[in-house]
Amino acid sequence: MSKDMVWRLLRRNISVWQLGGYAAATFVGLAIVLCAVRFYCDVHSGAEGDDPYVTKDYLVISKTVNTLGSLMGGDNSFTEDEIAELESCGWVKRVGAFTSSDFNVSASLDMGGRGMSTSLFLESVPTDFFDVVPSGWRFDPVKDNTVPIVLNKDYLTLYNYGYAASAGLPKISESVVGMVPVRLSLSGNGKQMWLKGRVVGFSSRLNTIAVPEEFMAWANSEFGESGTQNPSRLIIETVNPGSPQVKSFLDSHSYEAAGDKAASGRAAYFLSVATGVVGAIGVVICILAFAILMLSIWLLLQKNREKLHDLMLMGYSPEAVGRYYYIIIGAVNGCVLIGAVIVMLAASALWRAPLEAIGVNGASAIPAILTGIAVMILITAINILAIRRKIRTAFPG
Amino acid sequence: MSIREIKLHEVLPRVFGGMEAEERVAASQIWLRDVSFERGCRTLVAAESGTGKSSLLSFMFGRRRDYMGDIFADGENVRNFSIDRWYRLRSNSISLLPQELCLFPELTAMENVNIKNRLTSHRSGQWIKEAFDMLEIGDRANVPAGKMSVGQQQRVAIIRALCQPFDFLLLDEPVSHLDSRNNSTVAKLIENTAAECGAGVIVTSVGNHLDMDYKQVIRL
Repeated sequence: MSKDMVWRLLRRNISVWQLGGYAAATFVGLAIVLCAVRFYCDVHSGAEGDDPYVTKDYLVISKTVNTLGSLMGGDNSFTEDEIAELESCGWVKRVGAFTSSDFNVSASLDMGGRGMSTSLFLESVPTDFFDVVPSGWRFDPVKDNTVPIVLNKDYLTLYNYGYAASAGLPKISESVVGMVPVRLSLSGNGKQMWLKGRVVGFSSRLNTIAVPEEFMAWANSEFGESGTQNPSRLIIETVNPGSPQVKSFLDSHSYEAAGDKAASGRAAYFLSVATGVVGAIGVVICILAFAILMLSIWLLLQKNREKLHDLMLMGYSPEAVGRYYYIIIGAVNGCVLIGAVIVMLAASALWRAPLEAIGVNGASAIPAILTGIAVMILITAINILAIRRKIRTAFPG
Repeated sequence: MSIREIKLHEVLPRVFGGMEAEERVAASQIWLRDVSFERGCRTLVAAESGTGKSSLLSFMFGRRRDYMGDIFADGENVRNFSIDRWYRLRSNSISLLPQELCLFPELTAMENVNIKNRLTSHRSGQWIKEAFDMLEIGDRANVPAGKMSVGQQQRVAIIRALCQPFDFLLLDEPVSHLDSRNNSTVAKLIENTAAECGAGVIVTSVGNHLDMDYKQVIRL
């Protein structure tokens, strides 16, 4: 009953319009922030998948081959200093080197009764740069006589829709390719050897014919003739491949990025910027709403100054009289949070279908919800501290 | 938490600064003097209007700090008391009946008393009801304080001031709007309550004194 009496005293000057205005403004701001966070998480979730569409955080770069270099046989490999310079760039998370085969490789296979044989090249990259590491991705020269191979997805597409169609050969799926036996001939350094090969996976990130590093190290030492050579291609994990810094760096060093990854990265970069702008607008609205609330509280405390003073002279502590305002703020902020989360979930359901259509499955709502909770805890904590300070400074005695 | 003595050392309201030679300060037995009030005292502070009697009680209650000199509670300067300590003292050691009564007009007489008693849990409902009856406002218990006469409000505020444990009861013109019969009844209730807990009572008055047996009368 005592609480009810104090509540009856202190609620008298509460303006429903002011509180409602604050709640509406914060609701709009927070909903925008949460939607931006959720959208950002959704479009970036592709980076974890097998075939990232919107985000490609990896770039494969090489030096531009010019006419003079072709004629004179110029060295297009990366020196240690150049790699170190790359690693020191802010937009580079880490750099991996492609190791080329320093020996002759030819592969032969039997497909539908038609034997095929071709010279080819092999490369290896550190395993942690793979988008998907297939099972059995290892090679031991003593125990294994089968070399696992990962092909670029584009090669299969090129075969199915380029070569197979024109040569009257059947189209083949990824799983069928894995069943086709491949014989590899390795030669060089006065030696020759036949090994089995098996395609164990396809990568959309690595535009090469990749073999395990262990195999490449062994084969280069066995069949290599020119000794250690610098890598001519590098794979870079970037903070954002579409960043203008990346383009200007590549241009200034006459490096080029493979495929359209830089271009699609720029799309992702643009999307990030757009999402950031929308999120920032939400934050600004939240800050303005917060200012409205602080002004309302100041006004309310001013209007209730005499009552608060009398209650404190009676022996009520600043916390005891402030508690009612804390409850109001907590309840309003809690409702705003719930409303904003519901809006975020509803909005994400709307953009889910278009994103799925381009191969992005979307992320969990938890990061956005946690962001909302964190923002509201922060706002509520500042509100409570401000009220507490106001009460204590207004009534020092 | 209990206080045995409140001592004033050369206290003077700031507003009286520079008036030390004037009659109302020079003739005062409190301003710029050393005065002490002990637990169990019955002291009447007699004053004329504008001499600072409400200010004196406000200084002792920690309600105002605009004074020169020092006030000590059991040897501790009350200027150094924190807000937290003051609100504990106000609900456990010192009770004040302010001249303006500080009732909440939108609450009933009973609610005005209960809002204090629920905080301290010091009095039973029966005690409060008997106090209302004794001061002849039992039938007004459920009337909003804002609709009561000043005399009735004064009696509600007195009951409220007694709804807490205290070592000192500070009463600022407690019976200024009461007739002699009600004055005696109020005095009896206050005397009995203060005697129960051995508390000191300090009463200010400009003329209509609370009808108690004072051991000390001080001219402000």
